[in-house]
Amino acid sequence: MSRHMLRSLALANFIALAFTSHALAHCFVGARFLPATLATDDPCVADEMSTPTVAWSKTADVPPATQWDISVDFSKRITENFGVSVGQTWTQIRQADGTLTTGFQNFGTTFQYQVLKDRSHELAVLTGVVVDWGRTGSTASGLADKFSRVTPTVYFGKGFGDLPDSFSWIRAFAVTGQVGYQIPTTSFDFTQNVFIPQQLVYGASLQYSMPYLKSEVIDLQLPEFFNHLIPIVEASFTTPVANNFGNPFTTTGTINPGVIWVGSYFQVGLEAVIPINRESGSGVGVIGQLHLYLDDMFPTTVGQPLFGGTSTPPRKLTF
Amino acid sequence: MRLPTLAATTLLTVMAGTAAEAHAFLDHAEPRVGSTVPTAPRELILSYTQNLEPAFSTVEVHDANGARVDLGKPTINAGVMRVGLKPLPPGTYKVHWQVLSVDTHTTEGSFSFHVGK
Repeated sequence: MSRHMLRSLALANFIALAFTSHALAHCFVGARFLPATLATDDPCVADEMSTPTVAWSKTADVPPATQWDISVDFSKRITENFGVSVGQTWTQIRQADGTLTTGFQNFGTTFQYQVLKDRSHELAVLTGVVVDWGRTGSTASGLADKFSRVTPTVYFGKGFGDLPDSFSWIRAFAVTGQVGYQIPTTSFDFTQNVFIPQQLVYGASLQYSMPYLKSEVIDLQLPEFFNHLIPIVEASFTTPVANNFGNPFTTTGTINPGVIWVGSYFQVGLEAVIPINRESGSGVGVIGQLHLYLDDMFPTTVGQPLFGGTSTPPRKLTF
Repeated sequence: MRLPTLAATTLLTVMAGTAAEAHAFLDHAEPRVGSTVPTAPRELILSYTQNLEPAFSTVEVHDANGARVDLGKPTINAGVMRVGLKPLPPGTYKVHWQVLSVDTHTTEGSFSFHVGK
């Protein structure tokens, strides 16, 4: 635990001390702001931190166990378009008979590159590689694998603000999504005597931006609290696709309806977690997240890319 | 280095010399976003959630034919941007704005308002 914390803090210190200059945004694409989502990832590199993300659920075991996950994620732009995220999750599983298992999952790292930001069409495309490093978590408890998993992933986000004005309130909708192919670094688990499948990891969100509605479509003069809300439905799935000999190719996943409140410096998200089948869990869980916009909180230090920022004055704005 | 020392150092480092500012969001506009006003407004007022950099913030207003109907350079005071408008006949007008908040974050947006009943 301390080793991971020390590593993260050392990285934060390095970032804070590094010389940088020009700040841009978290996930803005033209007039569209795409919030950080809870079950999937938003389609932008950014300087941000989720601390914490807390999830409660009932596992698919019979009888089901109760599971708590507490995660911390930190994302940092290295250049304007290239970013790195690190994340760590602590898990507690309490079986029906009272047996308690606690520990850390494997340390996660994500390398991402911003391929496209089309302001006029509110379209963002991001590519990345997610790496869960083997033997960096609690392998003895079974919460972490002894092997790594590498997942090349494509992310996208699209706002509907480029629809004609006649579409009115529909223009406040946006979708995001991601598709990844997860490859374990070993194909067979000799401890459990099972094949380790390659998996398709994918998800999406449908969101409705009340801030966008107010500033781009129509100001309904709602109470200010409602103008900060983004109702959202997320979906996250995993499907084994290869090296799954003798096992069913069952898709597991959850549907997460919820809402995100967006402020100037942070956002708060809360979602229900609904398993799509018996193999995905038992009953409805819940996930909540406090997410910090580091580029807004610390615009001259952590909120800057490490390299590639310009020391020149901002350009004169033109349409 | 011990964990508490490193944590404290990190916090102090990131906090030092940093004034928190954020992206400038459009808080409200007059005429209001998407509204219909019975009489032509003489000016457009845009109020933002953050203070603006006047040299790098601008707004344009166009009629349905794409002709520009604002009077040019806006005046900016803190987080409020104003621009005069030519006499507007009944119709639909499109506002395009782009601003730079004082911490160099850019934001942009556009909306319509209507003049006439």
